[in-house]
Amino acid sequence: MGQTPLESFITHKADTGMQCGSYSIDLPELQAGEQYRFHFDATACVACRCCEVACNEQNNNPADIKWRRVGEMEGGSFPDTLLMFNSMSCNHCIDPACLIGCPTESYIKFDNGIVFHDDDACIGCQYCTWNCPYGVPTYHEERKIVTKCHMCHERLDVGQSPACVQACPAGAIEIEVFRPEEWLEGAIDAQGNMPDLVDARVTNATTRFTLPESMPETMTAVDDYQLKPFHSEMPLVFMTVLTQMSLGAFFALLMGVFFSLFGGQEPGWTMAALVLLPAAFGLPLSALHLGRPAKALSAMKNIKSSWLSREALALGLFTGLMTLNVGLYLISAPTIAKLLFGGMTLSVGIYGIYAQGMIYQITARPSWNRKTTLLKFFGTAYTGVFLLAAAALMLGYDAAAMPMMALGMLAALAQGFFTYEDRRDLERKSPHGEQLQRTKRLYTEFFPKQTRLRTTSFIVGALLLPLLAMVVLSLGAQGVAAAIMLSAWLIATGSELVDRFLFYVTSVPLQMAGGFFVGKQR
Amino acid sequence: MIDKVKNFLGLDIKAKKYALSEDKVFGKIADERKPDKWVFSTCGYCGVGCGLYIGVKDGKAVYTKGNPKHFVNMGTLCPKGLSEHQMINSPERVTEPMLRKEGKLEPVSWDEAYSKTAETFKRIAKEHGPKAVGIISTGQLLTEEFYTLGKFVQLGLGTNNFDGNTTLCMASAVAGYKQSLGSDGPVGSYEDFSVADVVVLVGANIADNHPILMLHLNKNPNKKVIVVDPRRSKTSQIADIFVPLKARTDLALFNGLAYMLIEQGWIDEAYIKEKVNGFSELKKHLENYPPQEVANITGIDVKTLYELARQYAANDKVTTAWTMGVNQSAMGTDTVSAITNLHLLTGKIGKPGCGPFSITGQCNAMGTRESGFTSSLPGYRPYGDPAVTQEYADIVGVPVDRVPTERGYKYAEIIDAIERGEIKALWIVATNPLVSFVDQEKLRKTLAKLDLLVVQDAFMGDTAQIADVVFAAATWGEKEGTYTNSERRVNRANKAVEPLGNAKSDFDIVVEFSRYFDGMDTLLFEGWKTPGDAFEEWKRVSAGQLCDYSGMTYELLEEEGGVQWPCNAQFPKGTKRLYTEEIPFRTGDGKAKLVSAEWMPMKEPVRAGFPVMLNTGRTVEQWHTRTKTRSIDILDQLAPEAWVELHPEDAKTLQVRSGDRIALSSPRGRVEDVVVKVTQTMRPGNVFVPFHFNTQLVNTLTQPEFDPISGEPNYKQTAVQLHSQNVPEGIAMQETEISGALAHERCDKAREYRYEKTKEAR
Repeated sequence: MGQTPLESFITHKADTGMQCGSYSIDLPELQAGEQYRFHFDATACVACRCCEVACNEQNNNPADIKWRRVGEMEGGSFPDTLLMFNSMSCNHCIDPACLIGCPTESYIKFDNGIVFHDDDACIGCQYCTWNCPYGVPTYHEERKIVTKCHMCHERLDVGQSPACVQACPAGAIEIEVFRPEEWLEGAIDAQGNMPDLVDARVTNATTRFTLPESMPETMTAVDDYQLKPFHSEMPLVFMTVLTQMSLGAFFALLMGVFFSLFGGQEPGWTMAALVLLPAAFGLPLSALHLGRPAKALSAMKNIKSSWLSREALALGLFTGLMTLNVGLYLISAPTIAKLLFGGMTLSVGIYGIYAQGMIYQITARPSWNRKTTLLKFFGTAYTGVFLLAAAALMLGYDAAAMPMMALGMLAALAQGFFTYEDRRDLERKSPHGEQLQRTKRLYTEFFPKQTRLRTTSFIVGALLLPLLAMVVLSLGAQGVAAAIMLSAWLIATGSELVDRFLFYVTSVPLQMAGGFFVGKQR
Repeated sequence: MIDKVKNFLGLDIKAKKYALSEDKVFGKIADERKPDKWVFSTCGYCGVGCGLYIGVKDGKAVYTKGNPKHFVNMGTLCPKGLSEHQMINSPERVTEPMLRKEGKLEPVSWDEAYSKTAETFKRIAKEHGPKAVGIISTGQLLTEEFYTLGKFVQLGLGTNNFDGNTTLCMASAVAGYKQSLGSDGPVGSYEDFSVADVVVLVGANIADNHPILMLHLNKNPNKKVIVVDPRRSKTSQIADIFVPLKARTDLALFNGLAYMLIEQGWIDEAYIKEKVNGFSELKKHLENYPPQEVANITGIDVKTLYELARQYAANDKVTTAWTMGVNQSAMGTDTVSAITNLHLLTGKIGKPGCGPFSITGQCNAMGTRESGFTSSLPGYRPYGDPAVTQEYADIVGVPVDRVPTERGYKYAEIIDAIERGEIKALWIVATNPLVSFVDQEKLRKTLAKLDLLVVQDAFMGDTAQIADVVFAAATWGEKEGTYTNSERRVNRANKAVEPLGNAKSDFDIVVEFSRYFDGMDTLLFEGWKTPGDAFEEWKRVSAGQLCDYSGMTYELLEEEGGVQWPCNAQFPKGTKRLYTEEIPFRTGDGKAKLVSAEWMPMKEPVRAGFPVMLNTGRTVEQWHTRTKTRSIDILDQLAPEAWVELHPEDAKTLQVRSGDRIALSSPRGRVEDVVVKVTQTMRPGNVFVPFHFNTQLVNTLTQPEFDPISGEPNYKQTAVQLHSQNVPEGIAMQETEISGALAHERCDKAREYRYEKTKEAR
């Protein structure tokens, strides 16, 4: 009879080096400078999805949390058709975008190469889910935190194979030992890339892919037909617009103080308090989008590399300084003191909004990763100027109102231009033109009403009504002008909120190919 | 309330629920589901027969882990196997026996269910004869249960109108083996995939249906894979040579290859002389299959055909494996024989890496073939041989006149007999015809004619829902016995948990039910308490037969990780291959037969009105009619509904894109709302739809055309029309050049010949 099944299995492992099937794994001890990585053999994978289910079984994850996913791509024409599959969990990058962006330092790059997520430290802000160009980290609704593949590190530590490696009947997934510097010297370009994935150099991903020797020119993901809007992130819609409004309002306030040097009417404490309100209201709102709002403050932890931390800190500071600023007005501090303190506050605010904009300058989100995002974030500040202008009219600072309205309208015109540019720019040829095209389709196919609403409300609220208010004011009807300006502010704010909503929902991430029904599973 | 607040604030990240813990058998596993014990068992889905352990915690199945020591799967499991424990606790389970009362199925006691059913069976038998009771069984039970059920049906109820869903599945392989080799019984081993020079996969999409077999292919260091399939399947991606033959031209292909082998002298004359009959008849017969003719029929050019034939000659070890693409054919039996011919001609059978190899669909289709009293008497004994009938009667101690002497109606014939009013009561065991059988609208009408429909199942499937009586059966993990896999490996399946609710094992149900039939229990099952008792009798019954279990014990099966029959004094640890030097062919003279089989064009070809060829099949995530898998989220989410694979040209004609929805129609009905997947894996004019889904019931379209010998339906080709929103009238028929012109001429003659043969087979 020859070998017993066990003997046969042991010989088979020894003969082939295949890691599949085995609950234990014979990996050499890591030498200094060596790390683990995945190897995926696309010529062996038949998309049986054993790895997906095994991963969930191992990690007790519910069906909709899949750390490992299998994508399907197709190219060529019958009968010379290539179906290619990509079973991917985490690529355990050398420069992980998740880790760099994480505000709470919840990601740790182990010496053995594993990008580990520290569940306890995570606050569920999900910034890593935006940052990763592979869509690896996934938000776990039940746990209120982000979770991801950790290469079954606890198993590896004791010589056990990761669940996916163990489960693959085709031997398509393996754990390998490698040297990062050698990988980066060039092998990464030859073996680190896979169709439908971002260039491996972007994050210096470590997964080694074995691809078919010849491939059709285009490989299309089977879920290409699916087009889904991204989450609307309502707390962030409000938070960003309101903080930007405060910045604009504060700027207008400071201008008022400045012009008072030349005989203008100096704004009072009510005005100073008013500019504070949107930020004071909006900033805490952002905590609502966190899985763990109780730990919101730890978002400031990683100022050395996370724009989210910088934003949180700067805008927190900005709001605090604006509060103190009200005090200066209450004690009727000298104008020069108000100007100096205000200048400092404004700088912090500007930096805060800049940091806020930089959060979205990420490769993984081509529609966000554009100059117009930053410009529009600052552009939204015109609503703050409108707010202050309306308040000025209502509180009787007539003289200050007119320049403020003029300033606000100028800013609004700029914002109109940025918005136009932002849409036009979607046509641009870029490495991620496909995602931009899909963003465009989301605007026109999914949100045509909202898109029209944005345009109309902008024209009315940001241009026509303020103009009317100026005319009415110049005719001396101050009360009417105030009412018109207040409506302008409301409508313009609404318009910006709609625009911000569209900004989020039309975002199309870089991703891997998905499955026909499940899509990308994120 | 506190929890809600804590949850809102994110103070509880459920770290414990998602923690791992060390298990001494399988290492780090999910702590929440860390089992109290691991129960050795075998997977209950497909015929690959993977060894596994069921993790049990607090009396519930919580884990399924591949057995690393098991030769078949070496620790791996497919997605269905990996989540099999979830199947046991499915909300679709039937947990109480039920009777239809005032139109509604109501839970009743077992006694009431049994006595009501027994009364009706007896009344019908009295009024219309015992054969007015029909039974359709399955490939899902354990061998002990099959033997018990078959014995009760044939000897107890006295009806031979007994068949299984294996007739929808493996019957053509069974009949083909019988026709060529003298007996049913797969020839080779999975090991052959690992040692063959060439593995030819015909109509076998193992990537979706038997992914674990990839292990054995991948162990093969020099593997060369040839995939013969009209569809560019996932499996075809591993092929070194892909043969995209036209739909249902496989028999012509293999006849053509045989022609070339003979023409080129690429045959093993010594082997043929010594071991094979029918050479000169075959040679003459094959004159009708010259290469150019075969190229016309199959759409494969002559050069490629010669290259394929050469593979059978130029390599020492060639294995040809097939599944439903071959079996589910109106010429399935003959196609199996035509494949076998290639191996007989080249002497590539009964040796490592060689042989024809049928990959089985269900976990124990093999068990019912061996022991189940449908296509043969237990132990592959032929019907109607008085000595054999007497032998069986003597072994089990029953009056010989109780032993059936001929096979009754096959599956489709049972349905027809119900239609004619000949069969009044039907007992369906662990199968769901209302998704799986052809021509659904007719079937549904036919089943409504029954006086009594009894469904014995673990799940509330479509058929159970229209039953008059439901016997609540236990499922995998809740009962014990043995399964035989595709390579004749008898695997032990143990009971890990108690049956859900009041469900009982199929063994218990049959034995208890027999007590309602006046002494049948004592005549047939005297002293039987556990499946082990059936196993002991089955061992005696199988002794000396090809499927000899006499050397097996449950302990041996566990120790060895399954044993391949025959297992007896001569082969105490089983046998890797049949028809080696030690095992002669099971024909009268010990020689195999080269079968001269005739390829015929399809009865229902594509034509104006129905210009598109529909192929049906499976996907890895679902099992058969989804009764087991549809409530397993991780599987169902991956394939929640049927889809239709469509070539871009056809999509263009229909003005549809992936994600759009179309309808399909055939002369028998229409299926609405099938989502389109545009793909170059299909030949233009051909579409594929998986058959699993009762939501898009594709068997509404399939035709009642059957293999005349095996009775297996021709599922794989149906002429259909497609209807999109923009093009509701569908696709216009494209006249193509007529292929296989000669074949058309000889078609009628061939039919006559085949029906003669059918009579012979009876």
